Amino acid sequence: MSFSKKIHQSSGLIFPAVAVIMALALSTIMDPYLAFIATSWVIFGLLGLSLDIVWGRGGFLSLGQTAFYGLGGYFGSVVAINLAPITGNSLIWALPAGAIFGAIAAGLLGYIIFYARMGALQSTILSYTFTLLLWSVTQSFKMNIGEASISGDSGLSNIPGIILGFDPQAQTLNPNTSFAVVVIISAIIYFITRWLMRSHFGRIIDCIRIDHEKTELLGYDVRKFKLANFVFSGAVAGLAGALFALWSNFLNPSIFSVQEALLIPIYVLVGGLGTLAGPFVGALVIGALSFFLGTEAGGQTTLILGIILIILVLFFKNGLLGTLNALWQKYLPDPNEATRNSGAVQIDANVLQHILKDAEKQAGPAKSLVSTSLFKQFGGIIPVNKVSRNFQPGQPYSLIGPNGAGKSSFLKTCIGMYLPEEGHIYLGDVEISQMRIFDRVKNGMGVKNQKPQVFGELTVINNLWTAAFSQTRSNAKALEISHKILTMLGLSAHANVQASALSHGQQQWLDIGVVLCLAPRVVLLDEPAAGMTNEETRELSLLIRTLARHTTVVVVEHDMEFVRTLEGHVTVLHQGEVFAEGDIQTLRADDRVLDIYLGRRNHV
Amino acid sequence: MKTYILKRIALSLMIFFAGSSYAQVKIGAIYDITGDLNIFGLQQINGLNLAVEDINAKGGVLGEKIKVVTYDTQSALNKYTQFAKTAVLRDGLDAIFAGLTSSSREAMRPIFRRANMPYFYSTIYEGGACDKQTFITGPTASQQLKPLIQWAIKKYGPKIYIMAPDYNFGTISASWINEYAKQFGGEVVGEDFLALTVTDYSPTIQKIQRSKPDFVVALPVGPSQVGFIEQFAAAGLKENTPIVSSNYSTGNEQVLLSPSAGKGIIASHVYFMSLNTPENKAFLTRWFDKYGKTDAISPEAVTVWNAVHLWAKAVEKAGTTDHTAVIKALESGDLHFTGPNGLVTMEAGSHHTRQNVYIAEGNDHYGFNIIKTFPNAAPNYESQVCDLIANPKLAKHFTPSTK
Amino acid sequence: MEIDFLVTVLLSSLSSAAILLIAAMGLAVVFGLMGVINLAHSEFLMMGAYAALTITKAGVPYLLSIPIAVAITMAIGAVVEILIISRLYGRLFDTMLATWGLSMVLLQLAVLLFGTATPSINLPQFNISIGDYQLAGYPLILIGVAVIMLILIYLLMTKTTYGMQARASIQEPEMAQAIGIESSRVNTFTFALGCGLAGFAGAVLLPIIPATPSMGMAFAVKSFLAVVVAGPVALTGTALTAIGLGGGASITASLLTSVAGEVFFFIITAVLLWRYPMGISAKWRRKL
Repeated sequence: MSFSKKIHQSSGLIFPAVAVIMALALSTIMDPYLAFIATSWVIFGLLGLSLDIVWGRGGFLSLGQTAFYGLGGYFGSVVAINLAPITGNSLIWALPAGAIFGAIAAGLLGYIIFYARMGALQSTILSYTFTLLLWSVTQSFKMNIGEASISGDSGLSNIPGIILGFDPQAQTLNPNTSFAVVVIISAIIYFITRWLMRSHFGRIIDCIRIDHEKTELLGYDVRKFKLANFVFSGAVAGLAGALFALWSNFLNPSIFSVQEALLIPIYVLVGGLGTLAGPFVGALVIGALSFFLGTEAGGQTTLILGIILIILVLFFKNGLLGTLNALWQKYLPDPNEATRNSGAVQIDANVLQHILKDAEKQAGPAKSLVSTSLFKQFGGIIPVNKVSRNFQPGQPYSLIGPNGAGKSSFLKTCIGMYLPEEGHIYLGDVEISQMRIFDRVKNGMGVKNQKPQVFGELTVINNLWTAAFSQTRSNAKALEISHKILTMLGLSAHANVQASALSHGQQQWLDIGVVLCLAPRVVLLDEPAAGMTNEETRELSLLIRTLARHTTVVVVEHDMEFVRTLEGHVTVLHQGEVFAEGDIQTLRADDRVLDIYLGRRNHV
Repeated sequence: MKTYILKRIALSLMIFFAGSSYAQVKIGAIYDITGDLNIFGLQQINGLNLAVEDINAKGGVLGEKIKVVTYDTQSALNKYTQFAKTAVLRDGLDAIFAGLTSSSREAMRPIFRRANMPYFYSTIYEGGACDKQTFITGPTASQQLKPLIQWAIKKYGPKIYIMAPDYNFGTISASWINEYAKQFGGEVVGEDFLALTVTDYSPTIQKIQRSKPDFVVALPVGPSQVGFIEQFAAAGLKENTPIVSSNYSTGNEQVLLSPSAGKGIIASHVYFMSLNTPENKAFLTRWFDKYGKTDAISPEAVTVWNAVHLWAKAVEKAGTTDHTAVIKALESGDLHFTGPNGLVTMEAGSHHTRQNVYIAEGNDHYGFNIIKTFPNAAPNYESQVCDLIANPKLAKHFTPSTK
Repeated sequence: MEIDFLVTVLLSSLSSAAILLIAAMGLAVVFGLMGVINLAHSEFLMMGAYAALTITKAGVPYLLSIPIAVAITMAIGAVVEILIISRLYGRLFDTMLATWGLSMVLLQLAVLLFGTATPSINLPQFNISIGDYQLAGYPLILIGVAVIMLILIYLLMTKTTYGMQARASIQEPEMAQAIGIESSRVNTFTFALGCGLAGFAGAVLLPIIPATPSMGMAFAVKSFLAVVVAGPVALTGTALTAIGLGGGASITASLLTSVAGEVFFFIITAVLLWRYPMGISAKWRRKL
């Protein structure tokens, strides 16, 4: 590995560390007023970081960050005003109090947003509404809590400054030392965040951002992960708010205003979305700019800031750090290069047998999938009408039927994307009719959708690992399983390549491998042969037949020829109902089946 | 070597951020020059620049020209704290003129207190700010409301409806109105407080009709004041139920309002453009020369103008720009100045100003006809609770107990 | 409670809802047909008001100034679409940020052009009496204006070539491309239409709302909420949310306090989003 590449890989560690050391060195000699102003930029950077956690990593543009920031600030201040005089040190009161309050507020809001499964825009708007509501009601909110008196739009004053000494007589730090302290606190939060985002938790958060549905199909309760991530970001925002309060010694409701709320995404965008360090760069640049313009621009500040924002969005989508990173990567060897033109996949049936036996040891014997009088309705359309099926291990089951026959709807009802109005579904002995998707997966269901669903930004091995980890909850076991499946797929050479660099066919195989990593007891495949070459289709047929000997396999398919090679049981669906069943030869001879496929009158 | 480079970096940063620091007399102006509050901010900064130009044309203070350092807070609160600190730590100013909203004042006040820097706040506000370094040339809520309520009860009858914004200026003003109503034999028959985000005034208009007041006291600011009056007038209610206000004209509402709706609105304030005094005529000529002919000069512009002049007088009186000496001169009790709105006197103990309060009636060409003058109206409440001569260490924001 | 009070409350609440609907319509069209949230909507509303005011002052009758204001805002909208929006298709949040930047620019430009206080003009006013209560007539007319606006947009979308192309572009984008619909031109027109509707709102609201640079802001927030709560079926959905949220808030404010009315608006918005996480119209089968 080249030196440049090594630095690039740990750039999120090295550069911030260097910046921190430089800032600390500068803090001893810089002008006090500059230290004071720069302190606020660092605090805004911290607030930006809290947004980057939910937006850059979690994929949810929250306009509620200033609400957590403000609430954390108010609460932290109230605690500090009352308790700091006893101990001297104000940080030990304000920071934890702010973080906890911010986390609680984020938890409440996040619970509504994520557990209601709100759309992206709706989530953003609800978080915005939350901020606006606070802005509106705090204007006349008055309350005395001990020594602290919150008085509507006149705000909360007499907030102590940053005090370190543990002595009631301890003095507020001077601007330079305050700056150093804020830099150190922010650095600690940054490195904790970076560690968290590189941990298993962070990897799953990345998966959720890239493909929310697939992550749930791997058995993760995405709501829980999103909520946890949001609560963490709320804590960071609340802590930043408490720091801000100590910095300004004053808070008022305008902290919840529209302008404040919209400024935070700008810090993140300018620095670079998802980079974690970017928001600090963004806050520094925007802070310095609006400070400079505020004294020098002769009253055109907002005009210039607006133009800069437009230009940034149009031409520098990745922000400063993102653009730098892209430039740097041009000069690094492309790790995905070798993969671009590699050959087709070949399944090693023996290895597969072995893996399937291991899976049986790990997850128990195959389970049946049974539906009884399953019924699903959308307005006047009934895509699933009293379908009763009993799928057992041993042979593959195919569902066929013309377009609109209800094949996919039946499959989606089994997976849990639709919830049935009537009837039952059993996975083994467990009724799963109203179960969430991830719970079904935990109970042994594996699903492969028509299009390859892989996490393009993750490496091939990490794609497999994420699935294996969902079932085993053990890093070592997950690594073992994913390496086995990697070998079986013949993708070992590409283990550390980004999944998006694989060809379409390779991605299909990777996706199948991901499903196998779950050690599923029932496998549902939606048009798996779509877009595959003849050679690949043959391999797939072999795989499905092998798979069916160890688990229950249900395939929804269009391609009659492919269904024939599976040599299994076939169900013909028509207008949501079971129309005919048997083996493929019998059905091919059945005139009624031909009628519905060809759209002949008497059965349509 | 390393420290040398660091020092070089720090030094170049300082040069980047530091303006020139050689002028002899420097004052700072921290106002919202851009963003949605600049309706007020531009009036304030224009008033300030005009006053400085006026003083400089007459030879400056202590023989030195005054230099102005302007900070644009962009209608964002955190910028107030930031620029107040910049003014104190970097620019070494002799006095500071700053702030519009109460929150901006409360954010900056402690900073100027610690720096012992004379600070002038010149907006109409809810009253009660009490601080050694803070001097207030705008009127307080009670200062303008007392004559207004007294006059209106006598003129229209005792039943009052209060319509006020739901923040301190509104709620505190309402509590004063309740008190003056009692004092002058009136009765508050209804109150409605408007949230910041309200755009729909019809609910209030119906409630007003329901409680059948003799007059309405309307206290929102800017476009929401105008929106309310426009809809109230359009419903044909203005003829039978007069509207009086102690802050109408602060944001040049009389210009934004259509002439027919503006006719007959009663306002009490410390300044109206139609004042017929030599000082005002001279002031208007200057203003029109510099900024062009306009119908919109708000009282904020004049109270800032007065503030700059009062400070200049105090400097002359002290013979130095030294902060402590200037503050001492300002609170000497006999510091006064005749501005466009008449005689303005800085009270020693309260740091508020005694000045004329006028009651005026809106006409149908964006202006007012003065109908009554209350000369030398005192900030009673502030004089009563705040005595900085006796208690120089006092630093508080007094509020009457609101209901 | 007196019957005349209740009737006035109902009527004026309906007019409040109509005002919200008029203000939100342009936003709804752009969001419904392009999936774009235009944060500079409030500034287009403001430009419409200034255009109508300036033209009326120049001697043109007020009624005639409205179509001119619409034309002006449409033209500006088209330019903005070509220069900015068209480069950001499919990037919802980037569009939001770019249009927010645009709104800052337009706001400051308006201050430079018109100053902070532009003298307004007398516009025709009348009032009606119901029992002991009087109501301004103009806001009641706006109820009719809102209804006519809805009908006209509905006809535009269903009966004209443009409307069919616009709907085809959102429902079957690939098919629309294949049959030769130039979606970029359709989008330019749709965005311009949305801006024109904002300009229309500014012009017709001029008699009750003064023209100031930040006048649109007061409406913008509630319009956004109404449109987003409405969801994908933007037109019908927004009509419903405007009546429910705007009218409901107005009734609450009449019967309780103004603050209660505002809190009602925000709380009901939150509850609706919670119950209908993709907007209230997410599962409707109609498309307009």
